[in-house]
Amino acid sequence: MSIDVSGVNKRYGEFVALQDINLTLPTGQLTALLGPSGGGKTTLLRIIAGLETADSGSVVIEGVEATRLPVQKRNVGFVFQHYAAFKHLSVARNVAFGLEIRKKPKDEIRAKVDELLRLVHLDAFADRLPSQLSGGQRQRMALARALAIEPSVLLLDEPFGALDAKVRKELRDWLRRLHDEVHVTTVFVTHDQEEALEVADEIVVVNEGRVEQVGSPDQLYDAPANEFVMGFLGEVTVLGGVRLRPHDVEMTTAPVPGALEGRVVRALRVGFEVRVTVDVAGQDAPVTVVMTRTHARSLGLEPGTAVWLAPAEGATAVASATPAARPAPEAVAG
Amino acid sequence: MAETRRASAGPTTYVLRVLVIAYLALLVAWPVVLVGTNAFANGTQAMVDVLADPDTVHALQLSAIAAVVATVINTVFGVTISMLLVRKEFPGKRVLSALIDLPLSVSPIVVGLALMLVYGGRNGWLGPTVEDWGLQVVFATPGIVLATAFVSLPLVIREVVPVLHELGTEQEQAAQSLGASGWQTFWRITLPSIKWAVIYGVVLTLARSLGEFGAVKVVSGNVLGETRTATLAVEERYLNFDQEGAYALAFLLASVSVLAILVVFVLRARGTRHRAFERQS
Amino acid sequence: MTVALEGRPGRARPTLVNHNLTTASGIGLGVSMIWFSLLVLIPLTAVLVTASSGGWAEFWRSITNEQTRAAIRLTVMAAASVTLVNIVAGTAIAWVLVRDRFPGKGLLELVIDIPFALPTIVAGLVLVSLYGNDSPLGLHLANTSGSVYLAFLFVTLPFVVRMVQPVLEELDMEVEEAAASLGAGRATIFRRVVLPSLAPAIAAGAALSFARAMGEYGSLVLLSGNLPFESEVTSVRILSAIENDNQAAAASIAAVLLVISLLVIVALDILQRRVARRG
Repeated sequence: MSIDVSGVNKRYGEFVALQDINLTLPTGQLTALLGPSGGGKTTLLRIIAGLETADSGSVVIEGVEATRLPVQKRNVGFVFQHYAAFKHLSVARNVAFGLEIRKKPKDEIRAKVDELLRLVHLDAFADRLPSQLSGGQRQRMALARALAIEPSVLLLDEPFGALDAKVRKELRDWLRRLHDEVHVTTVFVTHDQEEALEVADEIVVVNEGRVEQVGSPDQLYDAPANEFVMGFLGEVTVLGGVRLRPHDVEMTTAPVPGALEGRVVRALRVGFEVRVTVDVAGQDAPVTVVMTRTHARSLGLEPGTAVWLAPAEGATAVASATPAARPAPEAVAG
Repeated sequence: MAETRRASAGPTTYVLRVLVIAYLALLVAWPVVLVGTNAFANGTQAMVDVLADPDTVHALQLSAIAAVVATVINTVFGVTISMLLVRKEFPGKRVLSALIDLPLSVSPIVVGLALMLVYGGRNGWLGPTVEDWGLQVVFATPGIVLATAFVSLPLVIREVVPVLHELGTEQEQAAQSLGASGWQTFWRITLPSIKWAVIYGVVLTLARSLGEFGAVKVVSGNVLGETRTATLAVEERYLNFDQEGAYALAFLLASVSVLAILVVFVLRARGTRHRAFERQS
Repeated sequence: MTVALEGRPGRARPTLVNHNLTTASGIGLGVSMIWFSLLVLIPLTAVLVTASSGGWAEFWRSITNEQTRAAIRLTVMAAASVTLVNIVAGTAIAWVLVRDRFPGKGLLELVIDIPFALPTIVAGLVLVSLYGNDSPLGLHLANTSGSVYLAFLFVTLPFVVRMVQPVLEELDMEVEEAAASLGAGRATIFRRVVLPSLAPAIAAGAALSFARAMGEYGSLVLLSGNLPFESEVTSVRILSAIENDNQAAAASIAAVLLVISLLVIVALDILQRRVARRG
């Protein structure tokens, strides 16, 4: 096992940042730490890196007890959200930094830097200063810099958080491909569930200082352990005391046994899909149903149309204790 | 940033502009120019005479030595204290950061007196002990250095602290994650990043140190050819009715300080352009 | 515990331990503190101790000596008036430097800093050349109380300007535009929108300017003539006491100045925190 975190606790004054964290990440895996801001995921990453110390618990990296090791001795590659580029050094000198500190021979450093700059497609920019690069290029430079020291683990703190949407998507695909090539154990922090679902082999959902669930993207999406995970990973609607995804609600215009009757309030076309809002008798909040445009047209929906709603077969559902509890705004935003 | 900030030019703008220019011309610019014209009222003779006088040359040397030593001390001390104030937590930090500014608001005469009371050879708190070790402080060069270092103490710190704050700690953490020790991080990452602030601080400290008068007057003893500094020599010449000599020497000192502000001014303009560029890209 | 950490939000968090010094930085702090104590703290303490060594009555007699009282009165009056002038003039100058544009503005920036960098004795000589007995303007201020006001105005010029200027630069013009769109005139905008944002910076500059004037000595030597009851300031009284070998009296008057400096430092600390919070 590459990273072994056990019994880690961390408080800042009264604020409990992490509470009894136990986590084992296998070698070579690409893991996402996913959760809302302030949930403790960055603190956990920094504790693994040694940039922060835990109040109690232990961290083992590649079989080496690292709890008391300073960051310099852990041999981790760390990539910061805001790049932390060394502004006074050229791109090549940035990448060479860790090797210079390790007093490697000059030829070896030059060869390694060239190789890495090619890997991150920055070989044409070796002599530029970071201020002459775009955000995405700077982050690729930071990645090359972290990889130069051949780290046992690569840690990325919201690596694409400061970039605009298009670049973020490109870099995300590129990171996945890079990982398949380099195969270094990688952990990245993100609050973007789409990013985690798309890139990671395994996702660790962290919230309020605790691990809510660990699993593959499919496991998390299809079998969320609780309301929070379900809400954080995608949109949720409540139908008859059950929380489920809006596209898992079956809608008919004729009564079906076991289905709840409701009335269409609004049908909104968003691109290729249609979002229908339905008032269900005896329920405070309306139900949201998502379906394809073709399906919606075949039903002939108008405001006021009477419809019957039921969970689709095999739908992901979590019993709702408190219907309006813990909304996850980031997840609903899409 | 500032270039788009243009008040719509109404009559108030022009009146204000004229008033400000007139005020600064009368208070600063014209008098400073007059020192130049007075110094060269009879050609370069006064300047030549001043520079030919061995006592004046000694005074200039003494001022230069005291200023350089004080600047070196204040630079090392200033960068250390700035790093501690910005990067570290320790009890009494806020009190220290407030007290650091004290030398800027203490009268130079009070500075001189305070140093006399502690380092005076006859009845100072520490003076007799230090003199037993063979080191005379007051009425000697060490006293002049102390007085000079006192008055210019906060200048480096005031330049460096805000830059360190703005710099943040991410680059330093990145360096450490790549294996750099605290010392390596400081020399390779932090110092190059605060380089310009340190240079401004040094230039300002040097200018302020060269020009110190009151505190030096109290602790130096003002002995001709021994502990008389350049600024004390200006007073002496003026009071001895050698106005031309006083103006010539004053012109020399004023040139150094104007040069110092010019250097800082140019460096700052450079820095601003650099930052603006960085924000753009 | 105060937490003044920097960096990105979310990184800076309060810690429970009250220090995070490594061995090296601990030694750095120790050496720095010894130097700071030897150079600044112990000497200034010596002033206060010496002032109180003769008891309260002795202290009081020293500072209420008729000539000393006149000197303190003149210094306080001049420092206060000059500070008031600086509040207005300094703000106006900062305004022109930030908001106005005309050829030669860079030169003005340079002129502002001259009083700060110029040796004080040279500053005195500079002023004598325009306002002394050979004044090309026909103004003979030398050896009058007016010269004290003039010298103070010169040496304190940069303080308010340099405190206000950066705040004014950072000030969001949109707020003023919003006020204008709501119907406020220029005077109203300045009074109700701009001035309140500048107030802490102006106050900090005023405090520095007052402190500097209270302790001024060098620029007066050649200009004021140091006439008792006319143009003699507090610093000169301290120097006379030192020269008469009366250290106790010197320390007593110095203690008054020192207490004023300390008050200014406290005020500054509070004001600068406020400036920082607004910025």
